[in-house]
Amino acid sequence: MKASIKWLREFVDFSLTPAETADALTMAGLEVENIVPNSRDEDDSILEVNVTPNRPDCLSIRGIARELSAILRLSFKDNIISIQKEEDAGPSIEIKDTNLCPRYASRIIYGVQIKPSPERISKRLESHGIRPANNIVDVTNYVLLEMGHPLHAFDLNKLAGKRIVVKTAGSADKFITLDNEKRTLSKDMLLIWDAEKPIAIAGLMGGLNSEVTSSTVNVLLESAYFKPASIRRTSKAVNISSEASYRFERGADINNVVLALNRAAQLITEIAGGKITKITDNYPVPFSINRISVSLKKINDILGINIEPSDIQEMLTAIGIENKIEGQGVTVVPPGFRQDIQRDIDVIEEIARLYGYSKIPSTLPKTETQPLSQNIRWNLIKKIKDSMRKSGYSEVINYSFLNPSDLDRLKLFKEDTRRELIKIKNPLKKEEEALRTTLIPALLNNVILNISHGEKSLRFFEISSIFLHSGQDLPIESLKMAAIYLKDKKGLMWQDKHDGFYDLKGALENLFFEIRIKNYLFRQDFSLIEPYLHPGKSCVININDRTVGFLGTLHPEVADNFEVAPEINILELDIDKVCSLISPKITYKPLPKYPYIERDIAIIVPENVTVSDAEKTMLDINTDIIESVKLFDIYAGKPIPQGKKSLAFSIRYRAGDRTLTDEEVNQVHSKIIKKLEDSLKAELRS
Amino acid sequence: MMKEILSIKDSAQEEINNTDNLDAVQNIRIKYLGKKGILTNKIKALSAIAKEERREFGRILNETKDYIENLLIRKEALFKAAELDNVLKTQRIDVTVPGCFTPFGHLHPTTKVLDEIIEIFLSMGFRIEEGPEVELDYYNFEALNFPKDHPARDMQDTFYITDDVVLRTHTSSVQIRIMEKHNPPLKVIAPGKVYRCDADVSHTPMFQQLEGFMVDKSISMSDLKGILEVFAHAVFGPKTPVRFRPSFFPFTEPSAEVDIGCVICSGKGCSVCKNTGWIEILGAGMINPRVFEKVGYDPDLYTGFAFGMGIERITMLKYGIDDIRLFFENDKRFLEQF
Repeated sequence: MKASIKWLREFVDFSLTPAETADALTMAGLEVENIVPNSRDEDDSILEVNVTPNRPDCLSIRGIARELSAILRLSFKDNIISIQKEEDAGPSIEIKDTNLCPRYASRIIYGVQIKPSPERISKRLESHGIRPANNIVDVTNYVLLEMGHPLHAFDLNKLAGKRIVVKTAGSADKFITLDNEKRTLSKDMLLIWDAEKPIAIAGLMGGLNSEVTSSTVNVLLESAYFKPASIRRTSKAVNISSEASYRFERGADINNVVLALNRAAQLITEIAGGKITKITDNYPVPFSINRISVSLKKINDILGINIEPSDIQEMLTAIGIENKIEGQGVTVVPPGFRQDIQRDIDVIEEIARLYGYSKIPSTLPKTETQPLSQNIRWNLIKKIKDSMRKSGYSEVINYSFLNPSDLDRLKLFKEDTRRELIKIKNPLKKEEEALRTTLIPALLNNVILNISHGEKSLRFFEISSIFLHSGQDLPIESLKMAAIYLKDKKGLMWQDKHDGFYDLKGALENLFFEIRIKNYLFRQDFSLIEPYLHPGKSCVININDRTVGFLGTLHPEVADNFEVAPEINILELDIDKVCSLISPKITYKPLPKYPYIERDIAIIVPENVTVSDAEKTMLDINTDIIESVKLFDIYAGKPIPQGKKSLAFSIRYRAGDRTLTDEEVNQVHSKIIKKLEDSLKAELRS
Repeated sequence: MMKEILSIKDSAQEEINNTDNLDAVQNIRIKYLGKKGILTNKIKALSAIAKEERREFGRILNETKDYIENLLIRKEALFKAAELDNVLKTQRIDVTVPGCFTPFGHLHPTTKVLDEIIEIFLSMGFRIEEGPEVELDYYNFEALNFPKDHPARDMQDTFYITDDVVLRTHTSSVQIRIMEKHNPPLKVIAPGKVYRCDADVSHTPMFQQLEGFMVDKSISMSDLKGILEVFAHAVFGPKTPVRFRPSFFPFTEPSAEVDIGCVICSGKGCSVCKNTGWIEILGAGMINPRVFEKVGYDPDLYTGFAFGMGIERITMLKYGIDDIRLFFENDKRFLEQF
């Protein structure tokens, strides 16, 4: 709501500067967001006031001025309205739906002369964001700004029967509003009719068929009160949001109906001439007075203050609330323009506001001491993030939205459940119309963006929810971690040159150590692997035989689809599953008493033999003196024959109860060699 | 005899002093202390000396031997040290070659700030709870006293999934879920992502909030002020001015907006604070009795406060970031700064 300082001064005689005025209003709950010069009057400033939805009474100059007079304890000078010579009868008004329209008042002004408004009107409209039209329409807008009550002017000669009927649309399903738009109606929308046809959508906009134009001579002026919820529903349904609907849906002042009508009628005769008829004020459902009692103790308890009853009375009186101290409480009757005040807490808020929040002391709550309650999942996520960070990965946060076509680019199968998208009815963009069912596309897009900045090596991770169909109202929200690694092909000369897959795998193994996950393994399983991963360079991650995620190199076709380099590695982890598989207990094992003996072994095996095959073969020997088997070299190429590779392991032998002899170790060691030769067709490398 | 010994001692000493390399020292050792060395021969010759003098000369000879040996060792050490010095002078690595390690990554700036904020509230006895991001209209609006067809709903541009299911517009929905499940006393914070259909320099369709609320017998607005002042001072510094001013949220009453003295201009007035010297950091208030009624609490028995803040906003103020969209672009050059 824009409010000119000069206009406010017509109602309150205050001497504050615009900045001081803004501060006074702001600290009383009418936040002034901006002070701008009045472009139509160089001696004036305009306050841009953020009026909260509970204060429709301040959607007018008069309302803000009334508030200002209360805050500053200055007297309020209301408009003096006097209408003379009302001889002719007012229009006939029939309200059929009194629950949607409890009051409708009208006057006719005969013989007006349509022309542009004088500058004092048009400039004010312009400086408050309303484009002047003609003197009649301008007056209705002027009164809307000044008094906060929306009015409408009809061209009387276009109304059949020269009467007003207020009723719902019923079977009328189309209506052309004065902006020349054809609106689709539904039967419960409230309309204003003449004797035959609809002439306005109540509280929203008049019809083209009854518009005031340059040829208008007689005007029917409407001032009514419409039920807020009905106006809002219609406004949403027909997609009209006007200055009028904005006020009606927040709640106009039913007691203001006649005052606003008279003010407009008076202004019209002033600037357009004409003769005013008597008023017709159809008011079938009278405003009910709300009496509220508030306990004085409750006021002090809730605010944490100690205020005198006389101070309370003084404040309430200042904002126009009738009040009376009765026993241990105060009984109040809010004025018609304060329909937001319905319960004791609403009154307490008014007292707090006028008392000044700054005067309320700051204390810390006196409560029982309770032990810190740990959120295990939250702590774990923190640990995971920190572990990834220490492995070189930076955290990203992407929008939860998904471009459905990204699922095609990921090559997801037709029957993949991640294609059952949760869609937003009103997305900002088509590419953001669904909720994510996978974190991968966003991470790929992060890589693409950064490559475009010239980055060559990227490590990102994200922990966010994905949203899967559940068959219920709310989707399943599953917390996932995804990480992406683009390794710089060139690298740095002293840094290792192995496949980026192993870097990412290492980061994950560190993470597992950090959160105490033990029984994990990486399994190559073509039937389970994600379609967007390279089948030969990817694996399933299992913990205690449950699949918790995937790790692998991007499928070359998917890399093509996203126009990125194929040497991108991806990790995906189901955080909730992982959390459920943690073994938090640490049990100490006594330190070994006897020394170990270490033997290295180098074998040449066919290419398809995995390190895990070799390890398992070695550990499968029936003995209890193998403490550990560790890979220390892999090599393929000359002089190793084609189709083969060399693996080298360190085997550590130790017994718990004695020092091992060379002989004992030799015995087991040769068994290992034999087993490797037999089961893996391994040759010992000399 | 005595004279002879002294002269051997002197000449050995002189020779040792005059050596200029390790080999020379070795030769002196052989010359005097070797198997056929001058002093060795004297010791061997002791047997020929009268018994009564033998003991005295023996002692002197041994002392002389130790003396020379000591000189030799010291001289040797000197030469060895010098030699090592020479070797060390030639062995060099380039210490300016970058260290061999994977540089740490970076937590998202909002994560860092959120963690910091959470620590403050945990230390005051709050506990962390979470709720769904896709939420029933009931939890996001209805139970928080935003009736259907009420203009208060315009305060938050809402993404709808169906008429009854929304992307939560605030973490306040967690209040209802927790109060439905637990009885007071409650001291809860609820961080999480929220959504509004709005996008410009200061709005993104998704952002993060932290909700906090406390319910007990006799919680007052002055308690709310106290807790939030602790928070604001912990995050922005103990001297930061904090002010509370009236506002409106359907689920709190009285409602407040909390401002801090502008962190950019220290209250002098700048474009960030629109020359007011104040910057809004959060919304708060006493929980509306209507909300208590929805969850079955007796509003005559319990009172409480609630507050909610935008994590991106606090992060922007803390680090001087001027465009909220940067948080979700995930530009490495941005992320690396935190």
